Amino acid sequence: MDFDNLINGLDRATLDGITRGSIYALVALGYTMVYGVMKLINFAHSEVFMVGTWTVLGVYTVLGATSSSGTGMVIGATLLALIAAMLASAGTALAVERIAYRPLRKKGAPALIFLITGIGCSMVLVEVFGQVLKYFFGPPFGRVLVNVPAVLETKTVFTIPGVDLAISNTRILIIVGAIVMMVALDTFVNKSRLGRGVRAVAQDPDTASLMGVNQERVIMLVFVLGGAMAGVAALLFTIQYDSTKFDIGFIIGLKAFTAAVLGGIGNLRGALVGGLFLGIVEVYASAIWDSSWTNVYAFVVLVVVLMFRPTGILGESLGKARA
Amino acid sequence: MIRSTKTWQAVALTAVATLALGACGTTDTGSSSGDGGDSGGDCNFKIAAMGALSGPNASIVVPSVDGAQLALDQWDGGDCTVELERFDTEGDPAKATPVATQIAGDESFIGVIGGAFSGETRATKTIYQDGGIPMISQSATATDLTQDDPVEVFHRLVPYDDYQGAAIAKYLLDEVGASKVFVIDNSEAYGEPLADRVEETLGDAMIQRDKTEVGQTDFAPTIAKMESAEPDAIMYGGYIAEAAPLLKQIRDAGITAPFIGGDGLYGADFGNAVGDAGEDAVVMCPCAPIEGDSTFAADFEEAYGGAPGAYAAEGFDAMTVFLKGLEDGARDRASMLEFVNGYTGDGLSKSIAFDENGDVPQDQVSYWAYKNVGGTLEPEVEVKPAE
Amino acid sequence: MSQILDAYRGLKLGDRWDGAPKVVRWAVMLLVIAFAFYLPYLNILPFAYIRTDLSSTGSDWASVLFLIVVYMIVAVGLNVVIGLAGLLDLGYVGFYALGAYSIALFGSTNSPVVGALQSRFGFSEEWAVPFAVCIPIAIVMSLIAGVFLGAPTLRLRGDYLAIVTLGFGEIIRITARNLDNVTNGAAGITQVPVPPGPEIDGRNFFNTIDAERWYWLALTVLLLIIFLARRLEHSRVGRAWLAIREDEDAASVMGVAGFKFKLWAFAIGATLGGLAGLLFGSKQQYVEPNAFMVNLSFLFVAMVVIGGSGNIFGALLGAFLLTYLPERFRAFVDWRPFAFGVALVAVMILRPQGLVPSRRRAREFEDRRHEAEEAAADV
Repeated sequence: MDFDNLINGLDRATLDGITRGSIYALVALGYTMVYGVMKLINFAHSEVFMVGTWTVLGVYTVLGATSSSGTGMVIGATLLALIAAMLASAGTALAVERIAYRPLRKKGAPALIFLITGIGCSMVLVEVFGQVLKYFFGPPFGRVLVNVPAVLETKTVFTIPGVDLAISNTRILIIVGAIVMMVALDTFVNKSRLGRGVRAVAQDPDTASLMGVNQERVIMLVFVLGGAMAGVAALLFTIQYDSTKFDIGFIIGLKAFTAAVLGGIGNLRGALVGGLFLGIVEVYASAIWDSSWTNVYAFVVLVVVLMFRPTGILGESLGKARA
Repeated sequence: MIRSTKTWQAVALTAVATLALGACGTTDTGSSSGDGGDSGGDCNFKIAAMGALSGPNASIVVPSVDGAQLALDQWDGGDCTVELERFDTEGDPAKATPVATQIAGDESFIGVIGGAFSGETRATKTIYQDGGIPMISQSATATDLTQDDPVEVFHRLVPYDDYQGAAIAKYLLDEVGASKVFVIDNSEAYGEPLADRVEETLGDAMIQRDKTEVGQTDFAPTIAKMESAEPDAIMYGGYIAEAAPLLKQIRDAGITAPFIGGDGLYGADFGNAVGDAGEDAVVMCPCAPIEGDSTFAADFEEAYGGAPGAYAAEGFDAMTVFLKGLEDGARDRASMLEFVNGYTGDGLSKSIAFDENGDVPQDQVSYWAYKNVGGTLEPEVEVKPAE
Repeated sequence: MSQILDAYRGLKLGDRWDGAPKVVRWAVMLLVIAFAFYLPYLNILPFAYIRTDLSSTGSDWASVLFLIVVYMIVAVGLNVVIGLAGLLDLGYVGFYALGAYSIALFGSTNSPVVGALQSRFGFSEEWAVPFAVCIPIAIVMSLIAGVFLGAPTLRLRGDYLAIVTLGFGEIIRITARNLDNVTNGAAGITQVPVPPGPEIDGRNFFNTIDAERWYWLALTVLLLIIFLARRLEHSRVGRAWLAIREDEDAASVMGVAGFKFKLWAFAIGATLGGLAGLLFGSKQQYVEPNAFMVNLSFLFVAMVVIGGSGNIFGALLGAFLLTYLPERFRAFVDWRPFAFGVALVAVMILRPQGLVPSRRRAREFEDRRHEAEEAAADV
């Protein structure tokens, strides 16, 4: 136990926690939106994120972008990677919905069955990158860690005076990017016509469909939006960690889902709060003890929070997200 | 009689399904019935290679089995026909036990190359002991396998973790000249004991110790500790999948201290996984560079389309020991075991002999530091810890 | 596929079974059990094709049978939690691990716990808690864990329960891995004891080579558990679970104390999981934390659901298929997880009620499908 370590490096640990939490929060949005509308845990969402990271790698490889590329190339490649990852992740999410969930919905299957097809889809997607594509194309696909070129090189932009905390360009991008996407999504759901449909279905699917809201379209929309957010998270993840792997989604997905529950599943702002909270708790605890207990910290915090607030920190549904 | 028609329909369909299932299984005619070669001069044997042939750690195991196959291909067996059978365990002890029971129960197997990892070896060595079948491991390095509860059948061609840890510490002290080493491990059966040993040998030269997890990608808390500790060298006990992001984050944070890892990082994919951040990273491995006058590297490349990877030479050596045993006239497990116990000879990786615990005597083991230069691991210097 | 299923459905096996005289039912049941015990020696063509050791790189048939039966015990236990009480438990591997670790921690001379007991009470180096005593220890430990986990979390709604139990499974594994001076950490515990028995050919009766004896032991335990679980299902507790699963509010109005019975289900499920873990650890004679990854929990849930949750025989079938098929088709090494995923999705979409649903569940399902169709028609 080393509390001094945490106290002395509190500023640094907080920054690290926010960085980690921003990515959790973006992925958590996918879980929370789908849950809010369908009362369903989309277990394949972690792999939607994983597909995004590979898309980023693909874009970099095709453009030939590396860490020594010029400024124009860096901006162009990053933007293109962002769009491609959002599209690929949204497409994957939509495909999962079409293949694994829609047929079951038509048959009115119990929730448990959705869970199993979700896990099945997750396995298939993992194996597509770990095995199928490797069989056809060879490396970089396969079951090994793959280096994603650090197109955007990490540089210190400024130092916060007083606490002497160096802020790098990548951190700014991750934190600002995550918050901008969150605000955009929140605004979309709360202000736009389509967003109103989403909230209506979340509150009461039957009444909403009586009022002329096309439920199927709303469901597709939440998968697409959640997928796109996972795509953004995928780009930010590769910028920060410069690597991907066929099973990279599993742990991120687990944490993001925990974050969603922590904040109040079905609640967009809850995903942000839960993500940041979880990220900070993990980093603080790892600073005091060490990282080998990370998942234990996360789940203990989850249980403690749920004891006192059984529906999460903000504990609202998507339908009432206007508050 | 509608009902009975349906009954027959069901029976018929079941039969068809059973046959279809059966058809899938008959492509391989190998039979498990123990009709192996215990009938005098008949020399028809199989040798098993057990390890993670699929899954994330396969790249540390497959080259060694390929090496064993190469030794077999180059062998002029005379009257003997020997086959190498590959058994995949994914490195998982639970999956390894049925495999080991199968091998031990089939008398046509006369030797086992493996287990490749320590966990599966720990889980299966009593099974092989019960079956009396000699094992030669190419890469299982846990200390307890031979030191705490040794079994007669187990032998290995690599030095155990205690020795490896001492060698890494010696490299850190003598070659790097480090006095403030930051030691990290992956909390797993491989990384943790190795890091423990390094810590023990370094003594005061270790400045701080931290633990991480397998599957972790964000090492920010570790990096923060490192920044305040200001080490002059970093040692990591773990595998490539976590070493790569760790190393990148270390370099991103502007820490330039030399990075040293154990043989868990020794693999052809290390350079690719770490990218630019891995330049000059050092990997310590109990695997000697193949000497210039041997044709092994060229032969291996011709047969498998790549330079010999991790433990390929050890795999070759393990197979060679068994083949020499057959040449010597060993025709059953007991005589093969006796032969292996008393074996001495020059191998590709080292000169081979086994002590009473099944270890190669330490003065015959060479320990090498490899430096990652432009994505490939190049031998830098040989390290021998003073014993 | 559907043709085969239709042909079977046409037989109305269930109704015929109910209509058959008691003597016939007993005779058939005894035949099935006898056949199950005979399975390790099954070597008559074409039936022998189901063996997993036909190809020379196969795995030992009796060992695979043993694992199948252990997972069947798990499936019966988890079926109580998921199928009968309707609680989604994604951390079942935690109980399984506890069972395996109980026997390792107290029964192995290699365990630090036994070492501490030895030096505390001055026992000899060879002393360890006897196997027979380890069984109640394992049962009590998993029971306590079940109650300990259930008491605070069972008040949560279903989906929250899923993530909390998932976390519990992880906590058990990580704790086992990190507490080096209690559990030996990642290195695991060797020399886990085996059940006592006469020595044959200088080996223990339960040894690592003769896996069929382990299979028979596990099978006997399984039969006992099936018998008990059937009794339980039709008891007052079983009916209470059914009521809770269908509509918890209505059940509590009728005086069925939801929480109490849920806790019962959790505790019983936990015990069976622990028992299965104990068998696994003892046969393996080696216990290490990485044998209890989260994925195993998903696999367990998949067994119950694929087979048809709520029906013991469905759960048994699910456990059999999901354990047996990957072992039988070892030759496809790297493609097995992919095929597994595809099969999971395909089977669930084609037969969302599971392969052998309980009759009650099948009816419930029909109702819901009609509702869904009507709802679709309305729009």
